[in-house]
Amino acid sequence: MKVIWLIAVREYIENVKTKGFWIGILLIPVIIIASIFFQTLLADSTPTRHYVLIDQSGQYADAVDTAIRQEQQRRILQEFVSYVVENRRETNFEQNSANANTQIDQLIDDVDADEVAALDQWLENGGLTFALALASPNLKEDAPTFEPPREQFLQAPVPESVDTSASPEEIVEQMRPWLNGERKLAVAGGTANLFAFILIPADINSSIVRPSNSMTQAPSTNGGIQYWASNLTDVRLPSAIERSINSSIRNQEFSNRGVDIATVREVQRTRLPLQQLDPKKAIGEEKVSVADTIQQWAPVGFVYLMFFSLMQSTQYLLSNTIEEKSNRIIEVLLASVTPLELMMGKLLGIGISGIITIVAWLGSFIGFIYFYPGAQTELISQLLEVLLSSDLIPYFVFYYLAGYALYAGLFLAIGSLCNTLKEAQSLMMPMLMVLMAPLVTMTFIAQDPNGTIARVMSWIPMFTPFTMMNRAAAQPPMIDKVGTTIVLLLTIVLVLWLSGKIFRQSILRTGQPPRVIEILRMLRTRA
Amino acid sequence: MQEHVLELSNVCKKYGSFSAVKDMSFAIPKGSIYGFLGPNGAGKTTTIRMILDILKPDSGDINILGHTTALNVRHRIGYLPEEKGLYKKMTVWSIISYFAMLKGMDKKKSKLRAFELLERYGLKDYALAKVESLSKGMGQKVQVLSAVAHDPELVILDEPFSGLDPVNQEVLEQLIQDMASNGQTVIFSTHIMQHAERLCDRMLLIAKGTKIFDGTLNDARALIPRRVTLQCGGNVDTLRSTEGVLDIIEKPMDEEGTGLRQWEILIHEHANPQLLLKNCFESGLSLSHFDYTQPSLHDVFVHLVGNDAKEHSLR
Repeated sequence: MKVIWLIAVREYIENVKTKGFWIGILLIPVIIIASIFFQTLLADSTPTRHYVLIDQSGQYADAVDTAIRQEQQRRILQEFVSYVVENRRETNFEQNSANANTQIDQLIDDVDADEVAALDQWLENGGLTFALALASPNLKEDAPTFEPPREQFLQAPVPESVDTSASPEEIVEQMRPWLNGERKLAVAGGTANLFAFILIPADINSSIVRPSNSMTQAPSTNGGIQYWASNLTDVRLPSAIERSINSSIRNQEFSNRGVDIATVREVQRTRLPLQQLDPKKAIGEEKVSVADTIQQWAPVGFVYLMFFSLMQSTQYLLSNTIEEKSNRIIEVLLASVTPLELMMGKLLGIGISGIITIVAWLGSFIGFIYFYPGAQTELISQLLEVLLSSDLIPYFVFYYLAGYALYAGLFLAIGSLCNTLKEAQSLMMPMLMVLMAPLVTMTFIAQDPNGTIARVMSWIPMFTPFTMMNRAAAQPPMIDKVGTTIVLLLTIVLVLWLSGKIFRQSILRTGQPPRVIEILRMLRTRA
Repeated sequence: MQEHVLELSNVCKKYGSFSAVKDMSFAIPKGSIYGFLGPNGAGKTTTIRMILDILKPDSGDINILGHTTALNVRHRIGYLPEEKGLYKKMTVWSIISYFAMLKGMDKKKSKLRAFELLERYGLKDYALAKVESLSKGMGQKVQVLSAVAHDPELVILDEPFSGLDPVNQEVLEQLIQDMASNGQTVIFSTHIMQHAERLCDRMLLIAKGTKIFDGTLNDARALIPRRVTLQCGGNVDTLRSTEGVLDIIEKPMDEEGTGLRQWEILIHEHANPQLLLKNCFESGLSLSHFDYTQPSLHDVFVHLVGNDAKEHSLR
């Protein structure tokens, strides 16, 4: 036992000394933090984009303008909501949420339910100025002043040399130097590149598609609004324009048919809320909260965590065993310790570094939440609360250790069979395929945690740790819990025993990796 | 009766249809320096691995330090394998200390021991260096030290001299002699006869997996006739009748055109070479060279396994 511990400590210390270990430890927190910071950074750094609109019909320019400003207001609204959440005074949170905050909460609610309506209300109420006045008594004293986000899209004046009354083809020809980036637009405070050019031809109304004629005649490919832009990925502007013009056309259509637009608005804003209820919860508390949803999905996160950590650990075990083999250190070791002691020591040492990596990941996660309270982290801290209060952590610890023992045993056996990493790659391929299966089915199982596929996969020992972890929050039947655990533990014992056999017999092998039949012979040998 | 630290009786090992070791039996007395000699592929390493119970013999018995398997007495054995390797990223002292600890030494003692050994055998300046920064020869010295750091009763070194420069070969010879005078038993394998000649009390000669010879250096020398080399102008046939002469073989001269011829005369172990010299004078041979030397172990080796070794090298 002392020898196993010695080997484990050495494995651990040597592992900690490698760059890969630290990269592994730092990578995940860096990704989490970076993705949160980058979101804000990216939003802030996207340049204001200038577009030129020529409306020959003279009917829709206002609608487009409104749509763009609405888009901007929507962003201000979102930013403002997160600003309020971030800077809300903690002490009178409860009492205030009853009065002034309810309006903001209502707003947030409306944004989820019906954005157009929420925006209308926001604008009707006076937008930002009104909201600031509403929120300011509830803000912390040291709260920074709210800075509305920069405008994303700005309309630029039509270049003077362009004749807006010419035919659409001619106008596009005239606009070409700007579209190609050869010429720059003159805008307030300097020049800018043209991001998009929107042309609404004079005969636009003849291109309107109506249900009655769309069946008989296909809409002409040239008809409609022309949106010219070389950037095809940013679809916010074209979809805002399409939406606004269509809404304007529909309004027109309503009045043509004698329907009152105000009535339509009212009808559109009528809604019935849907309440999600969980039959498994106590009477009176059945309402599904965000925390419940998080709890349902948290196992998926754990499966990911397990997968990455196992991949890292087993890879290290493999390369480490191969290093010892190719350096011929193994022979000295085997003169001092038994193959079983060596194997167990390695399993333990790398296992410890794997656990430390996970603890470091979770630690940095918690640390981040602690030091950076904000809108995004609100959700994460809720997540954390759910995790600590549920029994997911013990499940994770058990299935992580079981999964580790199972896969580490297999990878060690592979490592002992090969002299170079290259040889190991071919043997590893089927293993990786097997490992991919729980990852591919992960979302599916989370959605249907007690379905047939989930149950079947739980009983396959290679998948048990992942699948059962995934199902952990859904109270799987007792037979599944106990039965799969027994099968899993028996398999681990069997795998470690057989791996030990292979390890013992092949660890001193040199030359070609053995053929399948030789591996089978190794398994049969009594050693 | 002399105490034996290691006894092999009728040990056999086959790899598939190839017999690596056939019916091997020998015993090694305590406190001796014992050489395993033999050409490449003779079965030295296989024998050593079986002694250490890294490989299982197909048949036969091994008794090591009073036990049937080396695994029970691991801590009393030190082993340097033929192919040398160390953890590249570890420091020199820590690797010696680690292997000593695996052999049951406690942490503090193993550290002291590591530094003591490094100082005694000229590696003090490298104690804190990483193994990967060492030259091959130095790395090998470190490995030898890590094999013997725990003061084992039985030290088994497989080809310890290969890859060392002459100065370090001497350092290693000194280390082996130090251990022997300390009462430790040392077994080492080599195919360089000079080391065996200088160091070994007893030696085992293996070829093609079979024991050819087991005994002291003098026993080995006695295996082949003594020889006298002489150079002269005339014919030496008259010497044939001299007492103790076994055979006379003409050998080509090293230099051509001197008009001299060279002969090798094989004589009995106990024959007097003086008698031969006297006969030379009596038959009026004008000698330009007369040389009588003890046969070297190299000669014994070539005599015993020469044909096999050549045959092997041609394959």
